[in-house]
Amino acid sequence: MKAIVSIENATKDYRLGKVVVNALRGVSIDVARGEFLSIAGPSGSGKTTLLTLIGCVDTPTTGTVEVAGRDTAKLSERELTSLRLNTIGFIFQSFNLVGVLDVFRNVELPLLLQRSLSAGERSKRVLSLLERVGLMEHVRHRPNELSGGQRQRVAIARALVTRPELVLADEPTANLDSVTGQNILDLRKELNRSEHSTFIFSTHDARVMSHASQIVRLADGKLAEGISTGPTVSELHEVSSAKA
Amino acid sequence: MAALFLDFRIALLSVFEHRRRALFLGTAVACVTTMLVLLNGLSNGIRSTLVDTATTLSTGHLNVGGFYKVTSGQAGAVVTEYEKVREIALKALPEADFTVERGRGWGKVVSDQASMQAGISGVDIRREGSFKKVLRIASGNIDELGEPRTILIFQTQAKKLKVKVGDAITISAQTTRGTANTIDCRIVAIAEDVGLLSSWNVFISNESLRALYQLRSDVTGAIQIHVKPAYVNKLAPLAGRLRNALEQAGYRLMEPDARAFWMKFDSVTREDWTGQKLDVTTWEDELSFMMWTLNALNGLSFVLMIILIAIVVTGIMNTMWITIRERTREIGTLRAIGMQRGGVVRMFLWESFLLGSLGALGGGIAGAGIAGALNAAKIHVPFSVQLFLMTDTLHLAVAPAALFKAVLLIAVVTAAAALYPALRAARLKPVDAMSHFG
Repeated sequence: MKAIVSIENATKDYRLGKVVVNALRGVSIDVARGEFLSIAGPSGSGKTTLLTLIGCVDTPTTGTVEVAGRDTAKLSERELTSLRLNTIGFIFQSFNLVGVLDVFRNVELPLLLQRSLSAGERSKRVLSLLERVGLMEHVRHRPNELSGGQRQRVAIARALVTRPELVLADEPTANLDSVTGQNILDLRKELNRSEHSTFIFSTHDARVMSHASQIVRLADGKLAEGISTGPTVSELHEVSSAKA
Repeated sequence: MAALFLDFRIALLSVFEHRRRALFLGTAVACVTTMLVLLNGLSNGIRSTLVDTATTLSTGHLNVGGFYKVTSGQAGAVVTEYEKVREIALKALPEADFTVERGRGWGKVVSDQASMQAGISGVDIRREGSFKKVLRIASGNIDELGEPRTILIFQTQAKKLKVKVGDAITISAQTTRGTANTIDCRIVAIAEDVGLLSSWNVFISNESLRALYQLRSDVTGAIQIHVKPAYVNKLAPLAGRLRNALEQAGYRLMEPDARAFWMKFDSVTREDWTGQKLDVTTWEDELSFMMWTLNALNGLSFVLMIILIAIVVTGIMNTMWITIRERTREIGTLRAIGMQRGGVVRMFLWESFLLGSLGALGGGIAGAGIAGALNAAKIHVPFSVQLFLMTDTLHLAVAPAALFKAVLLIAVVTAAAALYPALRAARLKPVDAMSHFG
């Protein structure tokens, strides 16, 4: 199956004053359509940087990042924005909701930017997703009236509302209780089945990793152990402890 | 359609969200607009008062005057066979509303105890209804000015000449042939002063003026043409057309000269020609000696307007910088989700435009209200100011179109002031914006 994400020897350097920080040092990954890739690694290992490159909000210093067959380094700002809008759904670690919009409008936002659905179709899709994430009674609430978990569910609904080919999430279950977290994983599975969406999550959550079809482990900006197909023994132990 | 107004909706909600800041800035914008409206109203009020008063008392919107020279060194401000000239003028100008003939002269007004030099205007009071509306009669009866050998003077003149209604005064002037002549007139009315015009002008009947200058009945000083209101501000092309029509009818015309007729005596008497030459002027030409006050006021208004707009621009730009700093993460998120740079720019422009337009609308309404209240209060202005205002009370003219322009100007300026901060916000890299704290 053709890869939706293809990363070839990507590096990313940041300059902090006179110091150059090598956030990524030659990472190569291929992610096939419909896969669920989990990026694991300690803080500062480059997980978020890798996600920003895949999510087209940044471009690599060297190497290539291809998303949906397009080399992101060769795209204009406008084309990158369009690619993000139409191909990718983001779930940010700190929710990043628009504070002045209510839950419904926050979720509707990407659809409004796409301008492809009628008001009725938008409403139907938004409400259906909000029902799935259990926020129907909070439709007209503003983000500051919600708990952290509820905000994260809004962010998830917003990321999924356009039915993107690729869903990126930075620690998506970090602020959720176990039941909601499980709901999200179920939703992911359903979308994966119905829309053949690809999911790439950066996570510490072993429960999330247990659902992944691939796990990439990063350390110091490099692939630590290559690509594995499931969680480690200790991670599985954590899952079983959590279930108990 | 809802999608098109996404950035507008976010902007509107943001304004509402930060209502304390919006209220503060909106009030500042409103104050500036109010001042702008009042300044504009004052300038327009003076202009309209000047036009109304002057075009009733001493000039038409357009005038066909001129000089008749018996010898090259002797000029009289007269138009001979004026009925023919009037016919040509009316034929050439369908925009004309009505015409009046007005005698023009300059002479010495002598009472038992004092004397003064004055411009002497001939008027047919029976045909000039608006004349009575503009002047406020302090004593006497203006209708009696229709009788022969009568005169209307103003309060300051009456004080100077130490006369009252019913007294007789003598007017002495030089005829077009260069001989001195006098007539005795009875004071039938004393009018309240109307600024500079009343300080050097007296009114007698046209018949009396003809008698003074020994003129035939088909001779007058000038034909004052009053145009329909829609054409009051479009006089230049009308004057050009009138000039052409008179030339084609065989009249000799003076070169266009934007001065009052009495300022042209010197140059005309120096010129080497005799007979009749016509002169087409506008009311602005005839009041050129007073227009500097209006121009100075307009200049002052312009400078103040620039200062006020600079204050608004600074305020809006500062507010937008603060807003953008506060919402950097939001900008990053919107860009990451898929909002194009244009959307970010529009969002901040909308926000600024909303603030500006609501503030300006409030300020405009307040300005119009204050202007209305000031007009209703009939505030008396000092005598020195009356000279230029040609009225004793303050009058602010706030036309709906001018009000709309002021509100639109401020709204557009406030939106434009946000352009640079908005462009900077749109150029933020999403990844940097999202990681912004502050």
